[in-house]
Amino acid sequence: MHTPAHDDVRAQPLVWSDRISQVPKEVFVSEPLFEQELKTIYYGDCWHPVAHAGELPEVGDFKTFDLGRMPLLIARGKDRELRVFLNSCTHRGTQVETATCGNRPEFECPYHRWLFALEGDLVGCPGSKEFAPDFDKKNFGLKPVRTAEYLGLLFVTLGEATPPLDEWLGESMRSTLSVVLAGDGRLKLLGYQKVRYAVNWKAYNDNDGFHAPLLHTGFRLLNWQGGQGAQFMTPNGHISIEAQLKPIQSSGFLKDPSLIEFKGQNPEKGSCVVELFPVSVLVKHLDVINLRFAIARSHDVTEVHYAYFSHADDDEAMVRHRLRQSSNLLGPCGMVTMEDAAIFQRIHIGSFTPGYAEFQKGVTGGKEPSFDVKQNDETGQLPKWEYYRKLMGFKREAEA
Amino acid sequence: MNADTLNAIDAVQTRNIAALDAQDMAGWLATFCTDPEASYICISAENEQRGHAIALMFDDSRARLEDRVSIVTKVWAGTYQAYRTRHFFQRLACRQAAPGRFEVMSNFSIAMTPEGGVSSLLTTGVYRDLIEVSPAGALIRQRRAVYDADALPRYVVFPF
Repeated sequence: MHTPAHDDVRAQPLVWSDRISQVPKEVFVSEPLFEQELKTIYYGDCWHPVAHAGELPEVGDFKTFDLGRMPLLIARGKDRELRVFLNSCTHRGTQVETATCGNRPEFECPYHRWLFALEGDLVGCPGSKEFAPDFDKKNFGLKPVRTAEYLGLLFVTLGEATPPLDEWLGESMRSTLSVVLAGDGRLKLLGYQKVRYAVNWKAYNDNDGFHAPLLHTGFRLLNWQGGQGAQFMTPNGHISIEAQLKPIQSSGFLKDPSLIEFKGQNPEKGSCVVELFPVSVLVKHLDVINLRFAIARSHDVTEVHYAYFSHADDDEAMVRHRLRQSSNLLGPCGMVTMEDAAIFQRIHIGSFTPGYAEFQKGVTGGKEPSFDVKQNDETGQLPKWEYYRKLMGFKREAEA
Repeated sequence: MNADTLNAIDAVQTRNIAALDAQDMAGWLATFCTDPEASYICISAENEQRGHAIALMFDDSRARLEDRVSIVTKVWAGTYQAYRTRHFFQRLACRQAAPGRFEVMSNFSIAMTPEGGVSSLLTTGVYRDLIEVSPAGALIRQRRAVYDADALPRYVVFPF
């Protein structure tokens, strides 16, 4: 089970209000708290998506990624299995692979030339006749990390008591995720947009269903009306929003309206967002398939790798359409999402003030977070905050 | 190629970055030719090297260039923290690709200063351009801005 964090490294224990709609702003800016979050959440009993199989389709394909500060090496072996290792030589701890991605026949640590197979086995180590008497290569393969997959989405956990992935995701998240992952997960990588935001990871992953028509001027200028939708939450902090896509009535604002055409098959679920606890965001909007692998770098920096995909059955025209739409709509310079990116930093700066971040839209005054939330309520975030509070061992005023 | 050609090429590059530093999006657009196939692609070196076509900005037509101007000036107005940029470029190579058309490669660097903040490097990179030169001057037909940062240090409003 999850182990609540201790308060020993903080100057003062952080006490939460009795109002469930209030989140103390200090959680966004506390540096010592980040160290506890690494231990409890990122290196604890949670699953974290780190890649999709579509990024590594061939034998020898690899990708490096960081889980908090923990360097990972993800590789497809000769048996075509995807494996994740700690990206650290089992000899002296040197980082084995420095490239962000690529293809190799094996991995070599240059320091003392230890050579590892794609499956992690140590296959070469010069001078081993003079190693310690009990040295055995079998004991020095790259350290594997526990993994699980859902429709090609590869998750890792460093915890020893993490529940099975299906249980961690829950039925409602799996359902929305399957839409994001094009139903069968047969995705092909189109490329990445990578950026660092000056924001705490919890604020990055706190985007609500309320802000969209208010922040995003483009929706109004483009006469881009959202359709009916629903919001789902799980007790362990995941949130998904599914929304209908209405046909866009051209307002003449864009000279090239083809950019925002929807060529997909299912307008009833044309816009789907899955926010997985703690920090990953997975999006399907119009014909964009966008998996945002996020890294909590520090208490004030979150790095996001926006990975974009086509589907294996797309024809050339559809790939071209996804490419244009993906590049221009939902990234750090995206027509829709640049505004979100600009807000992140302002949340961080504003959170150095005392008091609480206040949730209002949809608040009913109950003592426990409600799971009956409308599409445009911001209260969809509250079950996540309650899960986070309990996981980190924070007490409410009445309990303190 | 003669000095007049190189001067015309340098002049349009200079007008382009001067417009960007002045946040004059209409001036930026005016440095591109009016042909429907005029384009601006801003892509990471990582994607370029790996053969991935996703870009940060993908304007593959004159219409898309004009839409970028509208988005920066009308959609995003008032939503981002103001920042100043200083672009620097240095021409590295230039060869004639066709009569009146020149392939030009230039290094660039962009310093960025947020309002109330300190200056830092936004990114460096290479412009790979196809530039049209006529007696009236030079205009950019294609610009491919390949930026070096694997992870950009912040969100981006203006073209590189």
